[in-house]
Amino acid sequence: MPLLELREITKVFPGVLANDRVSMRLERGEIVALLGENGAGKSTLMNVVYGLLTADGGEVLVDDAPVKIKSPRHAIDLGIGMVHQHFMLVEPLTVTENIVLGREPGRFGIIDFATARERVREISERYGLKVDPDAKIVDLSVGMQQRVEILKALYQGARVLILDEPTAVLTPQEVTELFKVVRSLVDEGLSAVFITHKLEEVVAIADRILVMRDGKVVGETTPSATDEIGLARMMVGRDVVLRIEKGASTCGDTVLAVEDVHVDDDRGLEAVKGITFSVCGGEILAIAGVDGNGQRELVESIVGLRRPKGGRIELKGKDITHANARASIEAGVSHIPEDRHRRGLVLEFDIAENIILGDHRTPPVAKNGIMHPKAITEVARKRIADYDIRTPSERVHAENLSGGNQQKVVVAREIGRNPELLVAAQPTRGLDVGAIEFVHKQIIRERDAGKAVLLVSLELEEVLSLADRILVIYEGRIVKEFAVADADAETLGYFMTGGGGSKIDKGAVPSVPETSATGGDE
Amino acid sequence: MLADIITPDLFASALRMATPLALAAIGGTICERSGVVNIALEGIMLCGAFAGVAVTLAVGNAWVGVLAAIAAGVAIAAIHAFTSINLRSDQVVSGTAINILALGLTGFLMEILYGHPGTTEAVETIKPIFRFASERGGGGFLAEVWHWVNTILFSHTPIVYMAIIIAIAMQWAMYNTRWGLHLRALGEHPRAVDTVGVSVLRGRWVAVLISGALAGLAGANLTLEQVGSFTENMTNGRGFIALAANIFGRWTPVGSYGASLLFGFADALQIKLQIFRGEINIPPQFFLMLPYILTVIVLAGVVGRSVGPAAVGKPYEKG
Repeated sequence: MPLLELREITKVFPGVLANDRVSMRLERGEIVALLGENGAGKSTLMNVVYGLLTADGGEVLVDDAPVKIKSPRHAIDLGIGMVHQHFMLVEPLTVTENIVLGREPGRFGIIDFATARERVREISERYGLKVDPDAKIVDLSVGMQQRVEILKALYQGARVLILDEPTAVLTPQEVTELFKVVRSLVDEGLSAVFITHKLEEVVAIADRILVMRDGKVVGETTPSATDEIGLARMMVGRDVVLRIEKGASTCGDTVLAVEDVHVDDDRGLEAVKGITFSVCGGEILAIAGVDGNGQRELVESIVGLRRPKGGRIELKGKDITHANARASIEAGVSHIPEDRHRRGLVLEFDIAENIILGDHRTPPVAKNGIMHPKAITEVARKRIADYDIRTPSERVHAENLSGGNQQKVVVAREIGRNPELLVAAQPTRGLDVGAIEFVHKQIIRERDAGKAVLLVSLELEEVLSLADRILVIYEGRIVKEFAVADADAETLGYFMTGGGGSKIDKGAVPSVPETSATGGDE
Repeated sequence: MLADIITPDLFASALRMATPLALAAIGGTICERSGVVNIALEGIMLCGAFAGVAVTLAVGNAWVGVLAAIAAGVAIAAIHAFTSINLRSDQVVSGTAINILALGLTGFLMEILYGHPGTTEAVETIKPIFRFASERGGGGFLAEVWHWVNTILFSHTPIVYMAIIIAIAMQWAMYNTRWGLHLRALGEHPRAVDTVGVSVLRGRWVAVLISGALAGLAGANLTLEQVGSFTENMTNGRGFIALAANIFGRWTPVGSYGASLLFGFADALQIKLQIFRGEINIPPQFFLMLPYILTVIVLAGVVGRSVGPAAVGKPYEKG
């Protein structure tokens, strides 16, 4: 008897058929992965199950009984819990307060915090999810916050756990940890729906895989019956190159030269502690490292968003150490920022406006300080076509695009400007395979056109597949340089977590990397 | 001269001056904690002040006037709640509109009811609760101490004490009850509250109405306990100072009360200093500026980067 069953669920948004007669079953003690690209309708389907959306057709059955789930409260009462992609946690409140929110123990409206804390401790011990019940959410790591979300669902009595893109915000170590947790929950008799667009995760965790495309279920399989390439084909509907082929690099003149640069972070602490490197035309130089080791500050100092405290930055021999963003763009630096929502786009602006930002002072877009709408439309349409941005018109607001298309707008703008240097910071964060393939191809095309590319990425796969040369950054210093042929994920991981460190000359043998650099979770 | 300025009276007066600020500031705290900016405190207070006097003049009982002031505050706040919660309009615009409305409405009603603008007839003010003799036999140090204690703590009208009780009670409720937990969550992450099945709409409505009641009570304190009559625009920016007190008090009821005490003290001090203007030789207008200068200094400097509720001012849309 399935715990949860969906029969022919249909959901229509204005102009879009988000779910087209989707059916699925979830048995007790089973993990079903819902795989699909962004916009395939996975989250819509689960929002219907969780009572956030109402289906236009079809049936939901819980324990074989048809139900009309009207609200999240109703879903919770039926034993359905959801861990949202954007956490539903109140940051200044404590772990306990967040977990019991809406179902507080106590009488006469007064919360019995002792009991609440006790119950939280009880559940967290029973499922092996250790967390400090009195810690404030804001002080916890993202992985820990997610754990609180899971505990919240368990506290509410969830038998079905829906995890919406749970790994998008996690570090690789946290992902491993999450998989263990989900597995042990399922062993305890819970069931889980795992929404994702990452192929390797599906293969690693799912018992059964449902692949969705354009609102429909296009296939069902199991990890043993398929592989990543097969899944990618099902998901995108065509063959996808997971690892891009590229020719040898032809190193031209030095484009970017960074010399002994020191940069402070927002708190005034030194984040970049004297970094020197150069990038030549026709080369992709990747900076690999665990998040928070000075990458952000380094990138910002190169693109003119942060003033270095010391050192020198040159672009084709021209000093741009103290250039601001405008001067930096004029000098020929383009920047794909790591956070497209905060830095890459003005979400309330339409595509046309977003796609010419930075070019808005220069012809053909503007002459003598006055912008020309016709020229903007022309440039926008050309870039939309060149970069395959899927949109009905250039007047669609950026906030209404899928993540992949948003990133294409950023890429179109930054590469379309024809820069000397492209600085790409985590250019594929949160994108699905189709979009990742596209962005990777564009970056390689820039390289092949003889431009210099500086890639900063946390994804080792990406670094290894794109880079010609790799620098490993750790605690604000470059600790190791590799030609890509000499690098593999394990060795990179070792140096990224401080393996080489200052003891490098003592001939330390690479062994199991210590994880303390990213710890602090427990 | 210092001994003439630093008297028990000064502190008692500070407590009195702080009361309307504190009540409105606590209202602001509750409102903003729910995620709704209430810039309309000024106008609500003014309407409460007017309603209190008008009803007292009509029925002859100041306590009925107090109830009327609270009711008027709730009614005006309901406008703000409806526009900013249900219609999801800009909360600052809605609040500003209410402030202008309150000014016009009270002026208009004065013309209608009393046939003239300016100030209403006087009503009999509410008297202090305690009446202990300030002089105790024997003299000496103990008598002096009693004089200070009696003047500062026991010389006040009921709403002054109510404000203290409300501050403590609200503080307790905010951190110990379901209502309080929901309130604190509402202003930070309304969707999180919604997804656990607690109504955002209702939570915010209740908070806005409570702030209306408190601002209305603040108005009643102003007219029925302190002045004894209503004058057009008599709140004179107190609603805005209350907002500053709320921020200085870091969005907590007791903090708001403490901050209000500081502003109240500034007000009391400027009144006191005006008496000595002959000797100090500084124009009296300068002293009048004191509370406002203090507000600017507090907001700009002392508070530093004070962080309010994350979702404050953002209308909530379901789904």
